[in-house]
Amino acid sequence: MRISRGGLLVVIAVMVPIVIELRTVFVHLGVEMSIAQTGLLAAVMVGALLAWAVAPEVRGRMRSGEKSE
Amino acid sequence: MSLGADSGTYLDQFPDEAKLIRATFYSSFAALFVGALMGLLQVLHRVNVLRLIPSEDYYSYLTLHAVLLVLTFTIFFLVGVFTWGVTTSLDRGLEDLRYTWGWYGLMAGGSLLAGITIIGGFFDAIPLSAAVLYTFYAPLQAHPLFYIGLALFIVGSWFAAIDWFRSWWAWKSENPDERIPLPTFMALTTAIFWIISSLGVAVSVVVFLIPWSLGFIDQVNALLTRTLFWFFGHAVVYFWLMPAYMLWYVMLPKISGGKLFSDPLARVVFILFLILSTPTGIHHQYLDPGIAEGFKFIVMVNTMFLLLPSLLTAFTVVASMEHGARQRGGTGYFGWLRALPWRNPVFTGMALAGLMFAAAGFSGMINAGMNINYLVHNTWWVVGHFHLTVGTAVALTFMATTYWFLPQLTGKKIWNKSLGLAQVLLWFIGMTFMSNAMHRAGLAGIPRRTAEPQYSGFDFQPAAGSVAELNMQVVIGGTLLFVSTVLFIAIVLMTIRGSKVDTLPANGYAETLSGPEDAPLVLDNLRLWAGIAVALVVLAYALPLASIISRGGLFGPGGSPSPQFIDTVVFAGQAIADSLTGVVR
Repeated sequence: MRISRGGLLVVIAVMVPIVIELRTVFVHLGVEMSIAQTGLLAAVMVGALLAWAVAPEVRGRMRSGEKSE
Repeated sequence: MSLGADSGTYLDQFPDEAKLIRATFYSSFAALFVGALMGLLQVLHRVNVLRLIPSEDYYSYLTLHAVLLVLTFTIFFLVGVFTWGVTTSLDRGLEDLRYTWGWYGLMAGGSLLAGITIIGGFFDAIPLSAAVLYTFYAPLQAHPLFYIGLALFIVGSWFAAIDWFRSWWAWKSENPDERIPLPTFMALTTAIFWIISSLGVAVSVVVFLIPWSLGFIDQVNALLTRTLFWFFGHAVVYFWLMPAYMLWYVMLPKISGGKLFSDPLARVVFILFLILSTPTGIHHQYLDPGIAEGFKFIVMVNTMFLLLPSLLTAFTVVASMEHGARQRGGTGYFGWLRALPWRNPVFTGMALAGLMFAAAGFSGMINAGMNINYLVHNTWWVVGHFHLTVGTAVALTFMATTYWFLPQLTGKKIWNKSLGLAQVLLWFIGMTFMSNAMHRAGLAGIPRRTAEPQYSGFDFQPAAGSVAELNMQVVIGGTLLFVSTVLFIAIVLMTIRGSKVDTLPANGYAETLSGPEDAPLVLDNLRLWAGIAVALVVLAYALPLASIISRGGLFGPGGSPSPQFIDTVVFAGQAIADSLTGVVR
């Protein structure tokens, strides 16, 4: 992992105000987002974060799998 | 200053003082739990999700919520923190523990009296009531026991302040050439402005509200009691904040693994708060018609100056954290952030509290601006704002540091640190939901302090989303905050039930990169700063108070103070003043 589990939890928590405030910012830019769309945006952001965090581990496993084959 | 690895915990060093601080903390936590429960009931009631309380009792619940959280929870905790700071940094126990337990008893008795009076309002059979909110100025009137309880509580806190001074005076006589250690300096400067500012509310309670509630006088000058309240009412915000600041200065760098960036800068910050925190209260009264605009403008300028110490704090604390992170191997412009101890709830709670306080500073600037304040005055915006200041910067810092203090005071390990991390994160997320929605609702004009915020035939129009969405956000946030409180109380209780261990870190606080030897001596001249603080208060308040009294009367417009002796005293005073004027001429 690129980041500790505790650190990951903290970053996800900090994303909450960012997502909530982004929704208001978008309205002022003329983009209305429903609650479902906001939830989806949050899920995408958290998913991207998780992918970034675990990518080295996944890559490492894939490489070790290739070697063992 | 680290006291050395072999110096032991605070409990080892000061077992009697540890007992006292435990008592203040446990009193604080009891108030936190009941206050948070009242908060949840209000949230559910106000947005019409679950109505367990009648609307006519809403003010009583709101009063209990506010008094328990912003007075009892915070002040009990901070007297414990300052007692820790003074004894640890002076490396000496308190002068007279009987005196110390005396002020604790006054505070505990006072808060019980005030709390019981408020709770009496829930029951028709009990002839007690105090549905006057935390601001408790006229014309709302409470039972006399409420005011007497608050007076005892405040007097108790004054005696606590004197206790810290007694320790310092004793230490100073033995160390005449030493600089005041930083935590003691912070406690003393805070104590000075607390005593200056709470004189306003003491006069209001003792001279006006208690005699009025007892029926000794028929009426009071509502604007005068209101102004005297806000004389204290804004400074009390800094009374809550200063211990949080102290912990950010002396604890956060240590937990980060580094040193405090600058001791002199920290002293400057506390002096600025000492001199500026009281002559700002009228900014809560921008909409009061009885105070001239010019006075309000002066107070606005004073308030804007208060941003300076907060910005200095942000710089110093972040620099200290960065130093700590780099000591732990952190590199890069922002990469050092990853090296901070995010798994530690003490660090994470304090860091997130500081982050939220930055947001609170921005909304605070809106409140402080005379013209833009009119837009948000008495709306939910204000509630959103102070839930970021006292409700997060202060409360979250206090809860997070409890995970450091509790082992020091009990000799026991925190029951579950991972749950502690979840607890502080839940608070942060819950407050994000709640305060964001409150700010936005306030911009749409949704009022505060009402059980029934809806108007028939009129719908509030938020700039983004709908009122229903905002309400849902508040419910989610309020519920998460209550869950977080329950988790906190559970961790505290389970820790207290645990067994003592020998592996706890020693008591101490952060060392400095730039120490007191770099600070000019004048910074430690507390008499000078106290004198300047009093002078600024006189400048800010003398003319507005004189104007309020001359126009509205000491005891209200057109009213005759009763009993008659007050009239006589006023008449005699006037006669003496006239005679003296005649002699001078």
